[in-house]
Amino acid sequence: MTVLSTIVRRLLSTLVTLLGVSIIIFIVLRLLPGNAVTASLGVSEGLLTHAQVAALDRYYGVGQPAVQQYFSWLHATLTGNLGVSLVSRESVSTLIGTALPVTLELAFFAMLVGVVLGVGVGMFSALHPGRWQDDLGQFVSVVGLAIPSFILGTVLVTYMSFHFHYFPSSLTFVGLFTNPWLNFQQIIFPALVLSLGIAAAILRTTRAAVLEVSNLNFARTALGKGVSRRAFIWRHLFLNALTAVVTMSGIQLGYLLGGTVIIEQIFILPGLGRLLITSINNRDFPVVQSVILIFAAGFVIVNMLVDVFYTSIDPRTRKR
Amino acid sequence: MNVDPLVNESPEPIVSDASETPTRHRSWLGAVWRSRNGRIGLIIVAIVLIGAACGLAGLTPYPPDLQNPNVVLKGVSFAHLFGTDQFGRDVFSETLQGLGVSLEIAALSVLIAGAIGSLGGIVAGFLGKWTSAVIMRATDMMFAIPTVLFALAIVTALGPSIVDSSIAIGVGWIPIYVRVVRSPVLALRESDFVRAGRVLGFSRARLLFRHILPSVTGVIAVQTSLALAWAILAEAGLSFLGLGPPPPTASLGEMVSSSSSLVNIAWWTLVGPSLIIVVAVVGFNFLGDGLRDASDPRTRTQ
Repeated sequence: MTVLSTIVRRLLSTLVTLLGVSIIIFIVLRLLPGNAVTASLGVSEGLLTHAQVAALDRYYGVGQPAVQQYFSWLHATLTGNLGVSLVSRESVSTLIGTALPVTLELAFFAMLVGVVLGVGVGMFSALHPGRWQDDLGQFVSVVGLAIPSFILGTVLVTYMSFHFHYFPSSLTFVGLFTNPWLNFQQIIFPALVLSLGIAAAILRTTRAAVLEVSNLNFARTALGKGVSRRAFIWRHLFLNALTAVVTMSGIQLGYLLGGTVIIEQIFILPGLGRLLITSINNRDFPVVQSVILIFAAGFVIVNMLVDVFYTSIDPRTRKR
Repeated sequence: MNVDPLVNESPEPIVSDASETPTRHRSWLGAVWRSRNGRIGLIIVAIVLIGAACGLAGLTPYPPDLQNPNVVLKGVSFAHLFGTDQFGRDVFSETLQGLGVSLEIAALSVLIAGAIGSLGGIVAGFLGKWTSAVIMRATDMMFAIPTVLFALAIVTALGPSIVDSSIAIGVGWIPIYVRVVRSPVLALRESDFVRAGRVLGFSRARLLFRHILPSVTGVIAVQTSLALAWAILAEAGLSFLGLGPPPPTASLGEMVSSSSSLVNIAWWTLVGPSLIIVVAVVGFNFLGDGLRDASDPRTRTQ
């Protein structure tokens, strides 16, 4: 099977998954609370404009049977009508548009630090199995997996503000392009907190994958024919362990998205996670439904990209 | 919240081999105790469970909500192991009570996930192509929503209470049970003793519950221990965000969040509950490793 047809098949199955995800979200956030949703609409109806009420009616398919409500919602979402916030009275797409870049930036930096740290320390400990380098790696992974990010975040926030009077996040958040340096200072600490858990998971995967590869025959052959140590490490061990590392990174993104919700709350970053928590507390159903849909869709799409990526780097995954 | 289920999934199905008779007559407790991780896990989990039971039964050094103006914000001492908070309440007593609440929710959510997920996994592995395909497709779709977000969505729909929190946390873990249980069942379905049973004309139900289920209890036990670790973390995260059970039932996550304003003058109010969360999570993870070592002869030598 060619790379292309694999990719097409993967795309199709991703579409099916996305549809399934939307059904689950619809059941959990529309059917389950049922009357609570319509009640919340009724309360705020007087505050919204006629156009906004009409948009919400289409979004929720008010007064239609459940199946039609679903398709009404799907149609509205696909045409860019994500509903109207019942609290701020802004369209949800505007709210998401301002919050999404913050979360993307946070996730990007956290992932970057997590992957570099995880692969680095993971390689380091796999190349010295049973020695102190390995113990160091084990220690990092145990600490990273055991300490929840909200505890680490709380400690960091209070410690920095109290002992260094340094707490960039207490200022109003600035965009990447308005003031890059201040923006970096505001993003980097939450990103570091988030990255520790990712680093720990990637570290364990890297270590296990490299150790497994280094026990295979071709590794011994490569060493035997006199490949230089550097080429051996990076071309023979690392490249073969890469698929496992990439897969794990894709999976970690799911945890990362969950993690941003908590970290944005601690570091007061105006991202999607903070928007989500505020909306849950306000029972602002249209916002919650759209934000969770965006998160889930992002996760599904990234994992599809991960699959496509390793189909193209690893010839073993192509035939079947 | 980075406990990763796939790291813990061994590449080959973990099946306690029925032909391996020596394991039959020694208890699983002994087998777990024999591995170093299992020993550490058993000790920690036992301590955590005793602490939680004391917290739930009210056997704490002080009543958790007893305010004592004479000992406001006192540090760690023998009288107050974790110090006292701004109302003079004993943090250790509060923590024990919080641990009780947290473990109650964690246990309930794992029960939900384990019962539904294991059943789904066994059925998907044992029954025909179509049932299996439907269950696995549904599982994939649930898997596509990050577990924490799943929990947040359900909390939005149901509202916060002990049972609702448990459902919220448990549902997201169902697909992991399905996956982990299904693969050994697939292998077992074609194994000799199940074929023999089929030839002898045993009913499907008998094959499932008398022959296959006992052979996958090891996998389920490992997964349950890891799921408990994750559920404690998830519950702490939810209640940290203020989405846990409403007051006065304070769980550990809520204690961490409410101590954050005090931490500069009274660090112990944060350290107490945080320490207990970390210890409990580490304990259940070690126990899971120990259970895996015990049920999988291949890793036992490590």
